[in-house]
Order: sequence, then structure tokens, then C-alpha cells
Amino acid sequence: MTNTIEIKNLNYRRNYRSILEDVNLNIEMGKIVGLLGENGAGKTTLMRLIAGVAKGASGSITVAGTDGVPDKKSAISFSEQLNGFNPSMRIDKIIRFYEDVYPDFSTKKYNEMAGFLQIDEGLRLSALSKGMKEKLIIGLTLSRDTKVYLLDEPFGGIDSMSRKKIIQSIIKWKSDDAVILVSDHYVSEIASILDEVVIIKDRTVYAQKSAEEIRSKYAEGIEHYYESIYEGNDIDD
Amino acid sequence: MKFDDKIPIYYQIKNYIYRQIIVGKLAPGDKLPAVRQLAVDLTVNVNTVQRALGELISEKIIEPQRGKGNFVTEDRETIEKLKKLLITEQLQDLYENLRKLNVSDEEIVDYLQDYINKRKQVQS
Repeated sequence: MTNTIEIKNLNYRRNYRSILEDVNLNIEMGKIVGLLGENGAGKTTLMRLIAGVAKGASGSITVAGTDGVPDKKSAISFSEQLNGFNPSMRIDKIIRFYEDVYPDFSTKKYNEMAGFLQIDEGLRLSALSKGMKEKLIIGLTLSRDTKVYLLDEPFGGIDSMSRKKIIQSIIKWKSDDAVILVSDHYVSEIASILDEVVIIKDRTVYAQKSAEEIRSKYAEGIEHYYESIYEGNDIDD
Repeated sequence: MKFDDKIPIYYQIKNYIYRQIIVGKLAPGDKLPAVRQLAVDLTVNVNTVQRALGELISEKIIEPQRGKGNFVTEDRETIEKLKKLLITEQLQDLYENLRKLNVSDEEIVDYLQDYINKRKQVQS
């Protein structure tokens, strides 16, 4: 299997504080991977580094065979928080912007998701509730056709019915070779679609395990496995 | 379908398809939904569905036809065997649990008969 994401000896400091230390991580082509860890563990930072949005780390990050930032940006669809847009901008304008900027953006995919997410395109960005904004972000992110999707806590404010539909559209649309890295601090909703989990603890990759292996080897759920690692009583191998 | 997160999901998918076949929701010769459709319906990973189907194929419960999809076996003997296997599994659990409660073999038969009679009364 070829790796779509390869991270070697990654170290990242910010304001004289170490955020990530000696991170080594390979993610194989086609995998859906859950990135788990407490608030502040460095999940978002790691995603920003992979996406090339955060800079100044030592070590190397290769995505789909390239480590150049422009190539990475076309290979990665990252659930950014739309902070670059003027809050008074209307949603339909933001969608047009995505269509113009990303040649891989599929309006058909977006419209299908927008149908069940019920995003009112006439509203201004500033008028969206937290959940609505998250729906818009995930809709835009998943509508691109890329090798890698980075979804940073995409479901926090989204109601469970819409969550289920988003997860179903991920299964439906994901091409066989695309990688999805999805972070969350509670796991149960996405556990059934994960190939692997990566746990970030003590500023590094603490564990990387196949989801089915956790179930068959420990007879435990992903949630429990993750909690046991955080509580410091690792299940014995 | 709701999954138990403590049990490998491919295994639960296999069991789900076994049951569909045994109760006749999937009849011999029926075409299974496409892998991706199954994954969407069950809200699981495509790779997991593929693993489950792969095992069902090697067990000869389903048969792949090139370019057409997967079909439930038309060999009734295989299905009959599968049914017996699942029944035996259930009986085994029941038997072992009752034996752990120090219920004797004879008592197990009596209790079961008694239970069935009571269920019949409730239903009628």
C-alpha cells in the first residue's frame, strides 16, 4: 500500500512552547482515520500543518507524493473556518467563490448535500448559527474532489440527524483512493466508518491502531479504548 | 442497523446478512446491493463491507459474478447448514448459561417446555 500522507520527525513550537514533538505518521491511501485527543492536544495544529496553513515546523510532511505548499493545497480539502470571508458576505457568493477558486469543486455534490442540510444561501455569513456554519463548512469541504480531506471537529454543533446524513454522504462520495482524516473528541458517532484511529497524547502520536483490531483484540469499543489511554491505564497488548 | 462497537463490524455485517438469508429477506439467487450502497445503508466503511462480503464468498454463502455483483447461493443445502449453525450457536449460549445456574439437563427441557407454553398463552 502506498501512503498518501507521510509525516517524518515533525516538531512544532509556538511562542517558545512545544506543541508537537517528534511526530511520525503514515496514512495509507483510501483510509478513513479518526484523529483523537483532548482539547489542546494538538489535533488542529497537526491538521493545519498537513494542510500547509501553519508554517515553521521542522521535519517533513509529504502529501500525495509532494511537499510543496501549492501542490498540497490542490491535493487537500481542509475544513477551514471561513474566517477569510467578510462576515457580511452572502452564502451564495461564498459558494460561487469555491466554484471559481477550486476547479475540483462539484456544484452537484454541494447541491445534494445542501438539500438535506437546508442551508439558506440568501443569508449572510454573520447570520449563521454555529451549527449552520458547521454545516456550510462541511458541505463546502466535501464538495471538492481531492486526495485528502481534513475534517477538524466537523460535527460539534450539528444535530444528530444531519450528522448521520453527512456521514452517509461521505461514504457515498468518497473515492476509493481518497484519505479522510477526521478529528473529534467524542467518537461514537463516527466509529463505524473509521479504518483506523490515531491518538494524540503528550504532544505526539501516542497510538495508531486499526478500528477492527481494537474491537477484535480487546473486545472494546473505540471510545473506551481512547478513554483508557487518556486515563493512563492502557489495555495490555 | 445499530452496531455494537465492542464487536468487529465486519462480523456484525456477516451476521446481519446471514439472518437476512435465513429469514428469506434475501432469497437464493437474489442479488445483494452494491458494496457502496450497503455501506451507505449500514453507515459503515466500504472496506469493512468488502471484508464481510469476502468472507461470505469464501464460505460460499454468496457468489460473485463478474461485472454483475454478488448473489445469494442457490445451493439450499448450504443455506440449511448455515441455519443449523446459527441455531446451534443460540442453543449453545442458552445451554451454557443455564448450566452455569446449576440447572440440570432434564430441568432445562422442562423449563423450556414450560416457557414455550406460557408464551403461547400470552400470544393467544
